[in-house]
Amino acid sequence: MIISVENLAKKYDGYTALDGLNFTVEHGDIFGFLGPNGAGKTTTIRIMTAILKADSGNVLIDGHSIFGEPLAVKKIINAVPESNGYYEWMAACEYLEFFSHLYKEKISKQEVDKLLEIVGLHGKESHLIRSYSRGMRQRLGIARALINRPKLLFLDEPTNGLDPKGRRDIHDLLIDLNRDHDTTIFLSTHLFDDVERLCNRIAIINYGKIVRAGELDRMKGKGTIEDIFFLSTKEGTL
Amino acid sequence: MKIAYIMQKEIRESILTPKGFLWYAITSMILSVLSYLFLTNSELSLLDQGQMLYMIMNFITALGILIGLVFGADAFAGEIERGTLEALLLSPITKTEIATGKLGAALTNWGILFAISLPYLFVVGKGGQNLFVGIAYLALLGTFLAITFSAFSMGLSSRIKSVKNSLIISFFIFLLAGSPIFLSAAQRGTWFGRIIDFINPFAGAINTFDSVVIDSQGFGYQAGRVAIICGYTLLSLWFLKRSVSRLEM
Amino acid sequence: MIFLAITANYATASAADRITASIDPPIIQANMGDKITYVGTITNNSDRAVTNIIAYISLANVTQGRESPMDLEDWSANKAIKVDTIPPHGTYKGQWPMRLIDSGSYVAYITVVDKNDNTPISSTMSRLEIKRVLRLNPNNVLPVAVGEPMIIGVILTFIVIRRRKRII
Repeated sequence: MIISVENLAKKYDGYTALDGLNFTVEHGDIFGFLGPNGAGKTTTIRIMTAILKADSGNVLIDGHSIFGEPLAVKKIINAVPESNGYYEWMAACEYLEFFSHLYKEKISKQEVDKLLEIVGLHGKESHLIRSYSRGMRQRLGIARALINRPKLLFLDEPTNGLDPKGRRDIHDLLIDLNRDHDTTIFLSTHLFDDVERLCNRIAIINYGKIVRAGELDRMKGKGTIEDIFFLSTKEGTL
Repeated sequence: MKIAYIMQKEIRESILTPKGFLWYAITSMILSVLSYLFLTNSELSLLDQGQMLYMIMNFITALGILIGLVFGADAFAGEIERGTLEALLLSPITKTEIATGKLGAALTNWGILFAISLPYLFVVGKGGQNLFVGIAYLALLGTFLAITFSAFSMGLSSRIKSVKNSLIISFFIFLLAGSPIFLSAAQRGTWFGRIIDFINPFAGAINTFDSVVIDSQGFGYQAGRVAIICGYTLLSLWFLKRSVSRLEM
Repeated sequence: MIFLAITANYATASAADRITASIDPPIIQANMGDKITYVGTITNNSDRAVTNIIAYISLANVTQGRESPMDLEDWSANKAIKVDTIPPHGTYKGQWPMRLIDSGSYVAYITVVDKNDNTPISSTMSRLEIKRVLRLNPNNVLPVAVGEPMIIGVILTFIVIRRRKRII
């Protein structure tokens, strides 16, 4: 088990974001985390990546407690957050070099080129990030997230705003990462296409609680993923 | 070493830029005009060299404080607004290390300002009294004040999370700190003026410069003021550490 | 009318005789920025004490082509002195410190006013020659005042060019 979440709770100014969340993720999964807007997806990811503190509960990442060993956890995970801003005055290679220094990875030019090739940005390493399209920035974010060869990669709505080709390219990339690099992927999304194509296991969150969880194929046996989602979330608006 | 990379990134982002260097160009031009006026204006040219030195020291210190406040206001709030803080926080680097790197860059700013002022201080003060001791006090107290106001502004930035609001408050702080300039000699002699002089670290610095450069008084005379300024520096560093430890997305 | 004329003559004569004023030193040669002090001596020549008189210093610029009265705002903080009393046949010495703000040829004099009289009393004039002195050496200041902004401007230009060369 690479992620174990027990009774996670978080409130913001009296508003309950997470209300006793419980779930697990196994090594090698591409785990889909679905929910309507405001369900608690981003809050959950931020807690699991140790950039937000929970009010109560426990999270273990590969056996390390998020609350007791946040730096140890950060060395083996990485994430592409939803609000992914970049230092636009940097070139792509400078951006990756900067973050590699924070991981103490002395990244060589060849490794930078390799990373950019993996995400489909080969030949664009000297271009300023300012000139990148939205899709290219997403790919660069994934390249940054791969700097430390993470065991576990969190992605928060990674295909938002991308055209169909862009989304397909990201899908292929994630599948390759999972298959060839043995990276467990935790994917937060509200796009059913992403879930259908990528995930083997999912959990549905609503009002800060897990309302449904399990293997995707088994859950789909009773209907489409869309049906399961709307049934589980009752109002079901996106 | 991670602190050094953060500092390097900040320097490249804020200082080694056209906008960043424009500050230095403007500072240099103002100092050039001032030193030229010392030479040619009939009334300014009557000032003792000590007084000329004192005026330049005050100007550089005030500018160092202002630039520190502006830099600090953007430090965390700017990263949040530009969406770049989250990626930093995801990295295995503590918030204190991030803050230290940014503070290092703020101090680099001050160091450059100080270096720019040195030739002017030398030509204006050469042959006059207390030039080297004045420069030493400017280096010491200017650095303490740069740390104090930068750290405070950065702490504020991490709490408020809005560059605009941080800048407004920082500007207000600058006006408060610079209040000795706005009060007349008579007002500074009142109980209110004396309290401001006592608690205001900038007032402490300019009074020290006056005492050292113009009145040639020794360190013993300045010790109390220097201690108060050091106290403010430690307080602002504590405020910064406490503020960033609570920083969350 | 004869009575009035006699009275007027008596008033004029009595003011000038009762009180006399003098200024020292009679000649000063100094540099711009120097601080000097004039001493004005007011003598009561009468048998009665004089009270509440005002003495003030005046300065006039007599440099060829620049003749004008001087506003002593920046030169002297205490231009006027009030003297409570000078006993009969007594003297009062007042001091007028002054900072020499501008170069040129000047005359300074003390004027005494007694409200009981019609005519003010003036001392003789003291000659004041002020030389212009430069405190800063232009050879030191101008290279820095001109050179440093130029150097920073060059660095700034270099940064701008380097930025533009990066691929957008």
